[in-house]
Amino acid sequence: MTTSVIAPATHQPSTTAARKGAIDLRQVRKTYGDVVAVDQLDLSIQPGEFVTLLGPSGSGKTTTMMMVAGFEEHTSGSVMIDGVPVDSLPPRERNLGVVFQNYALFPHMSARENVEFALRMRKVPKAESRRRADDALDRVGLSGLGGRKPRQLSGGQQQRVALARALVFNPAALLLDEPMAALDKRLREHMQEEIKTLQKSLGISVLFVTHDQDEAMAMSDRIVVMKDGRIVQSGPPEEVYNHPVTDWVASFLGDTNLIPATVISRDGEEAVVDLAGLGTGRVRDRGAQGERYAVSIRPEHLKFRAGPDGENGGAGELTSSTNLGATIRHRITVGGHSLQLRELSSDAGASGHAVGSAVHVGWDADKAQLLVLEG
Amino acid sequence: MATATLERSRPRAGGPSGSAWPRRRRRGGWLLLLAPIVAFDVLFFLTPLGKLVASSFTGGAYARVLADPLVTRSLVNTLTIALTSTVVTVVLGYVIALVLWRSGTVMRVILFAVVLLPFWTGILVKNFAWAVLLQDNGLVNDFLQNIGLTDAPIGLLHNRFAVIVGMVHCLLPYAVFPIFSSLTAIDGRLALAARSLGAGEVSVFRRITLPLSTPGISAAGLLVFIISTGFFITPVVMGGPGDMMIANEIDYYARQLTDFSGAAALAVILTVLVSVIAAVYQRVLKAGGHHETL
Ligand SMILES: Nc1ncnc2c1ncn2[C@@H]1O[C@H](COP(=O)(O)OP(=O)(O)OP(=O)(O)O)[C@@H](O)[C@H]1O
Ligand SMILES: [Mg+2]
Repeated sequence: MTTSVIAPATHQPSTTAARKGAIDLRQVRKTYGDVVAVDQLDLSIQPGEFVTLLGPSGSGKTTTMMMVAGFEEHTSGSVMIDGVPVDSLPPRERNLGVVFQNYALFPHMSARENVEFALRMRKVPKAESRRRADDALDRVGLSGLGGRKPRQLSGGQQQRVALARALVFNPAALLLDEPMAALDKRLREHMQEEIKTLQKSLGISVLFVTHDQDEAMAMSDRIVVMKDGRIVQSGPPEEVYNHPVTDWVASFLGDTNLIPATVISRDGEEAVVDLAGLGTGRVRDRGAQGERYAVSIRPEHLKFRAGPDGENGGAGELTSSTNLGATIRHRITVGGHSLQLRELSSDAGASGHAVGSAVHVGWDADKAQLLVLEG
Repeated sequence: MATATLERSRPRAGGPSGSAWPRRRRRGGWLLLLAPIVAFDVLFFLTPLGKLVASSFTGGAYARVLADPLVTRSLVNTLTIALTSTVVTVVLGYVIALVLWRSGTVMRVILFAVVLLPFWTGILVKNFAWAVLLQDNGLVNDFLQNIGLTDAPIGLLHNRFAVIVGMVHCLLPYAVFPIFSSLTAIDGRLALAARSLGAGEVSVFRRITLPLSTPGISAAGLLVFIISTGFFITPVVMGGPGDMMIANEIDYYARQLTDFSGAAALAVILTVLVSVIAAVYQRVLKAGGHHETL
């Protein structure tokens, strides 16, 4: 085993030393005067897990991360790292790598000096710290650029320096606050893949903050959806996307069709509902309780059907078709509802419906979700 | 006026948005606006300066003043006093700027007022106030005797120490503001990043705050040094006979000796000396990599 903290890519995380990086937040609350920034927050990150806090602006994502990092003191509750309460530990003793939104690179230091900073603080001998910094820069694909000042680097390169700087001292976990916000779309997608690959090869736990749902979907093992300082739903990306618990979560994670529903019967797994104007339907149920219910069907899960086919669908009229390149978006009026149906452009030829024509649409029971209507 | 500003602030790249504005405008137009200032400067600044320089070259003035031992003495005094008060002012100013930077809104307003006070007070008032404090039966000596640190008054006035105290007091605002503004230009998240990487308060200061505020320090140093070479009243009110600076010597030549060409020569010598020092200072800073402004 080399002394380098960043393991060579060939090492499987499971073969390296016992994984660390469990983060636990218990009933954490943070208030600024009258403003409740975070409330009743319970969150556990397993070692090696990639958890994303996803929510709109002001939902408390940054505040949550700052409390984990130790920059903000929580009003009540407790924060633990690897089972040890860190509530009274200053940031420098928490051993967490933090990447800030605009990277916060030290402008007067070269890329290498930035990366070496944490090692110097830990009194690592000069020669070793230099070698480890260069290793870390290699790891993020910046070999040979160590001598440059941050302002001589592109946005993507600066972000890599920030990553190397946060990883070089072998932190228990990595905290990233909207690290991609300043990058253009193409570079952002590229960096998403790179960060994900790096995280997997290091086996490090990550707490990632974003308000971009595509980014959250692409990178996370688990998405924690926040709203007004609270967690509204938490689960693997597909689950949160396909089985949102409220209409707000459904809409926040992408386009969806929301059809008001009256529950006829439910057993916690499946529910039979009356969909006004669309007859009865059989949909997935997660047992969420509320006053009013709706069924969410993602546009890509709504399909054209050859003819009437009993439950979970109906007959209507195609009102518009918009070609979006890879996909085509159709609008169909069914039983008084305007529904969106999205299909791949490559599939469109087969169905070939003209705007204004009568169509049949339907969905699979396991692709429709019963959820609670808020507000 | 408005068109002139627009013309100048338009992005250089031009582009389609640029063509929305009237493009061709007589370049000389806005120069005309400068005419009053140029006329004023020529009349009241350049002409007297030219006359002064010209008269310094009459009647062997340079040889005469440079042969005067009092002149050499006052030149040395000027440089040492200016240098000492610059160092003291910048160090003190840095501390004040740091406190200002770290304090909350209310405290900041109060401190700003205190720092600005010397600006609003005449130099004579400030110097005499210090003289009252530092004299033999003044507040400071009384205090020292009361707490039993000394049994007799110690000479705090009419010496170099007093001159430097008086000068530092006048110079402080000139150091505080450039340093304060370079501190506020530092991105607050840099300190957070440093702390997350293992830095304590001292390391954050030494490795982040201090290096990033050097532009302010060097600006303050130059400004304070240039101003301090021209002090005239303070050496008279607070200094002893051995603390006279070049301005006092100019005054002596002009009024006691009525040797105007000698006084002019001294003024030119001071100006050239300060300019050379300022130029060397900036050259050294550049070589040291201090062009790292934010
Ligand atoms: N220092 C502060 N003083 C007062 N209120 C604050 C402070 N910091 C955050 N807040 C409030 O706390 C709430 C949560 O803010 P936070 O920065 O955590 O949101 P966020 O989810 O990170 O939003 P964004 O996506 O815009 O970054 C907001 O209502 C915000 O106004
Ligand atoms: Mg934020």
